[in-house]
Amino acid sequence: MSPRSDYDVLIIGGGVLGTAVAERLARTETRVGLVEAENDVAEHASKGNAGVAVSYYGAPGTLETQLINTSAPLWEEVCARLDVPYRRIGGVMVALDAAEAERLEHTHQEVLACGVAVQALDARQVLAREPLVTPHAVAGLLLPDEGIVDPMRLTAAYARLAATNGCDFRFAERVVGIERDSDEVLAVITPTSRLTARFIVNAAGVGAAGISRIAGGEPLVSRPRKGQYAVVDRAFGQRLSSIVFCTHLPDTKGTNVVPTTHGSVLLGPTAQDIEDPDDRATDAETIESVVDRAARLVPEVRDAYIMKTFAANRPAGDEQHRLRFDTKVPNLLHCTDRSAGVSISPAAADYTLGLLREAGLDAPDRPSAQRVLPPVPRLRTSEHPERLIAENPSSGMVVCACEQVSSAEIEAALTGPVPATSVEGVRKRTGAGYGRCQGSLCLAGISFMTAMNTGTDPATVMHTTRGTVGS
Amino acid sequence: MTTYLVVGAGPSGLGCAVALAQGTGARVVLIDRIPVTGGETGWDEPHVRQLTARAEAAGVALRLGALAVRWQDRRLLLISPMGVERLPGDHLFYAGGRRPATQADLGITGQRPAGVLPATVVEHLLTSGVALWQRPLIIGNDIWAAPLAAELRHRGSTVLGLGDADWADERFPDGRVEVLGTHRVEGVRVHTGADTVGITCDGIVLAADARPNRNVDGALFDDADGVTFVQSLTVVGAVERAADGAAVARAWIHSQGESA
Ligand SMILES: Cc1cc2nc3c(=O)[nH]c(=O)nc-3n(C[C@H](O)[C@H](O)[C@H](O)COP(=O)(O)OP(=O)(O)OC[C@H]3O[C@@H](n4cnc5c(N)ncnc54)[C@H](O)[C@@H]3O)c2cc1C
Repeated sequence: MSPRSDYDVLIIGGGVLGTAVAERLARTETRVGLVEAENDVAEHASKGNAGVAVSYYGAPGTLETQLINTSAPLWEEVCARLDVPYRRIGGVMVALDAAEAERLEHTHQEVLACGVAVQALDARQVLAREPLVTPHAVAGLLLPDEGIVDPMRLTAAYARLAATNGCDFRFAERVVGIERDSDEVLAVITPTSRLTARFIVNAAGVGAAGISRIAGGEPLVSRPRKGQYAVVDRAFGQRLSSIVFCTHLPDTKGTNVVPTTHGSVLLGPTAQDIEDPDDRATDAETIESVVDRAARLVPEVRDAYIMKTFAANRPAGDEQHRLRFDTKVPNLLHCTDRSAGVSISPAAADYTLGLLREAGLDAPDRPSAQRVLPPVPRLRTSEHPERLIAENPSSGMVVCACEQVSSAEIEAALTGPVPATSVEGVRKRTGAGYGRCQGSLCLAGISFMTAMNTGTDPATVMHTTRGTVGS
Repeated sequence: MTTYLVVGAGPSGLGCAVALAQGTGARVVLIDRIPVTGGETGWDEPHVRQLTARAEAAGVALRLGALAVRWQDRRLLLISPMGVERLPGDHLFYAGGRRPATQADLGITGQRPAGVLPATVVEHLLTSGVALWQRPLIIGNDIWAAPLAAELRHRGSTVLGLGDADWADERFPDGRVEVLGTHRVEGVRVHTGADTVGITCDGIVLAADARPNRNVDGALFDDADGVTFVQSLTVVGAVERAADGAAVARAWIHSQGESA
């Protein structure tokens, strides 16, 4: 056995899966670290996804389905513990013609085979459940256990609780090399450090194949699959009560209408295989087609106000999900998921810990570990704003008027374990600047607050995790 | 007693509140999120000072430093560090000013790198002494564009513009903009019908097509119940905006007289 290493487990990648695993491991007697190439968690797929905590995603019998089934009933408990917005609003999958109705019946059988709650709806029942759905719907399926979660808050919360319990986060450190000792990984090399660990968790998302390659592991294939979205504002979102899914095609899930926990509504995504993981560009034709297809499901989205468009890349590749040890490098554990990483994250964390324990990691649970993140008082969702403000007057100082984010919330995002270090980091944790005016009123103020808390000045403070406000 | 609520204590809101107080016997409350009157124009602008004195003389109650959040069932929810208030009112006059069109408003696509900012934010940053960009592209030509171009040039930047941007050092054809750059803004492509023009720039200022700034739930859309909007998109200057606010108030008083 090698001398004592820096970490028992070193996780590569601070997306939803890497941070979920970190949070779980940090509640055991394990010395755990996480290296992330960017300046913050939740920067890649875990930032730009729809935040559906699905009850059903694909075929029965897969590990992914097993992890979804295990996670689905846990969401209320997990999100209460982590102070993350979650609502089990249910989903309606809609068929628009006879051919779609036939495919919907296939999906119905598949959902049943997965052991997931589902109910067939006729045209009238579809409209009764979600009156905004097109009157042209001929049939539907109700998936009552579908929920929505704030994926950025979830990832940031996993990270914050992990750090609270002792996980060592290393940002702006891209893993560029891996040192081996016979067939095992000995150390991970970043431009500034050499980090030894007994086990490596490869949660690098679309970078996972690259990590496996430099570790001498299996020849994996990772490929970014771009999804584009248009975001519609809360005034419309208030009227929509469920997720509206289109009928799945055999090879793609198609464009949906998805309420977010902020109250806005996402139209999308698309699916386009691309080469460059940094290509997160939207284009006019695709956005137009997204709105068209969404309007086939919910016609009124056509008149709704679009606040923003964006794109994100799924970590796609030769396998839809990959949670297992490498067949060539015994202490390298792959942990990626293309399309349901948010949805599997609670169970995937337990499952990963199980795999590590089977492989010899001695990691008994630590009863003294903190299980709950102290909630940050949020003005907009508070039932008793007068009490919040009485306790802390900054809770009544609103910085972002559109989303009603107080200076106390922004302060909380900028301090404590794994704080925001950029204007974008504040947005991910609070929603400030996310609303109708896209920061026209508040971005300067948020830049000043971020600069103050990061010891920079407003010209050189980070705007996104990669670029400054000024230059 | 009838109560009128006016949200926004810039020149438009001040003009509106004074006209309401003088033209009706109603109680008028003027509300603003910042603790002084004047809005974007600034509290110490002479006409703002004069209007504020007139408002006080006319009996307008000032409620400054509180954010109006929701208008529902003839009550306006106000939030401030002092607490929460639900102000009853018979009608709401909303004078929340204007903001530049967003990227989505303008159909701007492409990447979302650092260095794309609304003109209102750039104004605020420059006023606070923040140094910005060597080669900024100002998109649009609404009220913010020319003054910002002058300010940026004064600080040594080469200012780029599209179409009829006569304040620009370098002008390019106008069209649909696609943003380039994965970290910072590196440039744009402008699609003009059949042609595509590439422009290198290191910052983008959104200064196009002023929109009414709306952020009070229940008072977002032109047809909102019990709300009159006092948000001219074209009138510039404190005196003119105050006159416009007063005209909106008088027209409303007149229409009430007719329907009574
Ligand atoms: C458009 C879209 C919609 C989606 N909708 C949903 C949905 O509704 N519900 C759902 O459950 N899932 C959804 N998903 C899928 C979900 O987003 C992903 O499964 C999940 O985010 C993957 O998480 P991850 O942690 O594996 O990857 P990521 O979030 O991509 O994180 C990987 C991290 O690894 C880091 N990294 C990479 N290489 C290195 C290196 N060499 N050194 C250090 N760090 C490195 C990256 O910087 C990144 O931060 C969607 C995805 C997309 C794109």
